[in-house]
Amino acid sequence: MSFYLYLDRKTPIHRLDPRTKLFILLGSFVIATIQQHPLPATVVAMVILAHGGFSRSLRNIWRITGLLTAIGILTVLLWSLQARGVTPLFWRFQLEPVLYGISTGIKIDSMIIAGMIFLSTTKNEEVAVGLVKLGLPYSFAFAFCTALRLAPTIIGSARMVAQAQKSRGLDLRTGGVLSRMRKYIPLLVPIFLTTLRYTNQLSMALESKGFRAMEKRTFLLEARFTATDYCVNSALILVLLIAIIMRIKGLGQIEGLLF
Amino acid sequence: MPRALQVKNLSFQYRDSERKALNSVSFQAKRGEFVAVMGPSGAGKSTLLLTLNGLIPHLIEGELEGEVVVDGWNTKEHQTRDFATRVGMVFQDFETQLFSTNVQLEVAFGPENLAIPPSEILQRVQESLRSVGLEGFEGREPATLSGGEKQRLAIASVLAMKPNLLCLDEPTSELDPAGRDDILAIARWVRESAFITLIMVEHSSEEVLGADRIILLKGGKIVAMGPSSTMLRDVNLLRKTGIRPIPITELFAAKGSKHPPLTLEEGLERFRKEGWAIDELKYRSLTELQGLRQRRYGRVLIDVRGLEHTYEGGIKALRGIDLQIREGEFVAIVGQNGSGKTTLVKHFNGLLHPTKGEVRIEGVEVRETDMLQLARRIGFVFQNPDHQIFAERVIDEISFGPRNFGFPEEAIAERAQRALEAVNLLGSRDADPFSLTKAERQRLAVGSVLASTTKVIVLDEPTTGMDYGESIRMMDLIRELNEKGHTIIMVTHTLWIVSQYAHRVIVMREGKIIRDGSTREILSDPDGLREASLKQPQMAAFGRELGDFVFLSPEECATCVVK
Repeated sequence: MSFYLYLDRKTPIHRLDPRTKLFILLGSFVIATIQQHPLPATVVAMVILAHGGFSRSLRNIWRITGLLTAIGILTVLLWSLQARGVTPLFWRFQLEPVLYGISTGIKIDSMIIAGMIFLSTTKNEEVAVGLVKLGLPYSFAFAFCTALRLAPTIIGSARMVAQAQKSRGLDLRTGGVLSRMRKYIPLLVPIFLTTLRYTNQLSMALESKGFRAMEKRTFLLEARFTATDYCVNSALILVLLIAIIMRIKGLGQIEGLLF
Repeated sequence: MPRALQVKNLSFQYRDSERKALNSVSFQAKRGEFVAVMGPSGAGKSTLLLTLNGLIPHLIEGELEGEVVVDGWNTKEHQTRDFATRVGMVFQDFETQLFSTNVQLEVAFGPENLAIPPSEILQRVQESLRSVGLEGFEGREPATLSGGEKQRLAIASVLAMKPNLLCLDEPTSELDPAGRDDILAIARWVRESAFITLIMVEHSSEEVLGADRIILLKGGKIVAMGPSSTMLRDVNLLRKTGIRPIPITELFAAKGSKHPPLTLEEGLERFRKEGWAIDELKYRSLTELQGLRQRRYGRVLIDVRGLEHTYEGGIKALRGIDLQIREGEFVAIVGQNGSGKTTLVKHFNGLLHPTKGEVRIEGVEVRETDMLQLARRIGFVFQNPDHQIFAERVIDEISFGPRNFGFPEEAIAERAQRALEAVNLLGSRDADPFSLTKAERQRLAVGSVLASTTKVIVLDEPTTGMDYGESIRMMDLIRELNEKGHTIIMVTHTLWIVSQYAHRVIVMREGKIIRDGSTREILSDPDGLREASLKQPQMAAFGRELGDFVFLSPEECATCVVK
């Protein structure tokens, strides 16, 4: 069972410079956030999904469809009841907040999907190289990547701990809120201690392998901008500009929405 | 010629400890020498390794006296990271030292830190992978490798920094026999290359036959040091330092031999030269005892039919298992890592559900039973006790199960008391579980399962990381539980434990059962074992060479030998 997200596929997206992939991710975030109406948000979501399909990383997204649906529904409900509008629909619901809720749900899901695609197409080490090339110190880039790397390890040990405690009769399904919270202690203590031990040994292994022994280290993976990278980045800037202009002109806004 | 390694009067005390982990240790090693470090748990073996590249005292706090000099460099005067080109350190837990997304980048990590140009890094990656037999694995994700392959990758990743001293901390203890042989082949390669000094901490005598020298540590002190051929013959000394002697050596020592043999071939030659023989009558009485035991088994407790299991992601772990286990049996399930042993036993208490087929416990389908109900009948002791210990006191840890199952307070106290007694931890009743040794924590894990009175106890690798003495105590405890009526199912790859304790052996390979029979039957068949990448234990092989005998331990063989 693998908890890693990276999928070793040989698509043009995989071959892009990690910086380009970082820009695409950030660009997707910006474009997704500045639209208010569900229509442009849906267009953006479709483009992001197409990007996922092109990079053959949709498998990872199918794995979290449950989560995405839950977030989507919750956001729609929350915003529909929180914001106010002018056109009544039924009961306490009004058209503008519902539209806003739908677009916010789509936006949040789009951002998660964009993040998943990024992690499915970029190795941890490439992220590090990209960040270093962007001028960040290596220690920071490494720490960031280790955090990404640690997540699957912690999930793995959490599963193990949960199985061990379930075998000793721990039942998380019953009891009130307080007693349920108390029931998580037998899970959290071993997970915490295992992680602590893991990071401790990791730091010893790093030190033994000459981590930070030299002022400047080398990288086996190269990050170089190719013609494709220039094209992709130009296109990205163009789309960003269009999105910003649309926003300034007030296109894609929901009229009559009040907070 | 300068000494590759000099350790002078070395003592170390961890910051929070009351006693010295190392106490006036002195030794030297020449370039190209293979030194094995052996001793019981807590002897200071791992601590000694950590001093060799300066992790002690630079990263681990405590009081260090004496000195360690590697190739003229004193560890006190240089940082650990600067020792990377001199000392290659491979830790016991290989999982924690692999952190890259593919094999090539894993090996490249060290050279990258040393700012070596990429073209040379590529060359070093290739060389290192070749020397551990992992060519062609460059693009693989480390998590998808087998235990043995991971360990070899960990070794390659330090070889790429071209160290003069290679330190391996129990490199074979968590591996199946096939993985073990691969690591020993690397040790031989290092030994023959003659430019790398190898320091290896190891529990098993059979694996250090190729060492030039053995250092025996106990309580932080060197108790003996000498050529491996002399040390390994000293059966009494080995036993006293918690090390299992080579079985054939043990047999001849038991028969009063002054210079016992070290290998099977040597042993056979000596046996014939001395004109010894096997008393067939005595041997037959041993096998009859076994038949008697089999007739006493009760009704079928676990009934598995056509069981298949496919994990999320499509990995087929079990491909059609049929199996019955009766009350009172002591079953060992063996096979390579990834053969489906653990997946199979996780079906017995409902941790996993069949993809196809069925599992019945006392006649009831597991799918129709609540996991809580099941857990009271089938206890499960996981491989690593640290994945479950959480309480502040031993007694609370032991009471956790019975409390979950809703027993009244007096019953909980009584059950906990009995379980503590059974696992020999009465003296530690109020101790902090984390202050116990690994072996004691494993016994605590058994006790905490036992307290819920389960009929069947499933143990996954119960002796991992234990020394010989601890393993014997653990297994004697399990045997006692079996004699008191508990059915025991044990997953393991330690064949000497299987041969000395189990009544029945199930051999698995690629999700199927390929052999199932009494321990003597299974161990008499080297081909069946080989199919599962297992090696016939020495005593069983010895008996087969002498005739139609299968001995399960040196003691058993010794009682049958007539001079």
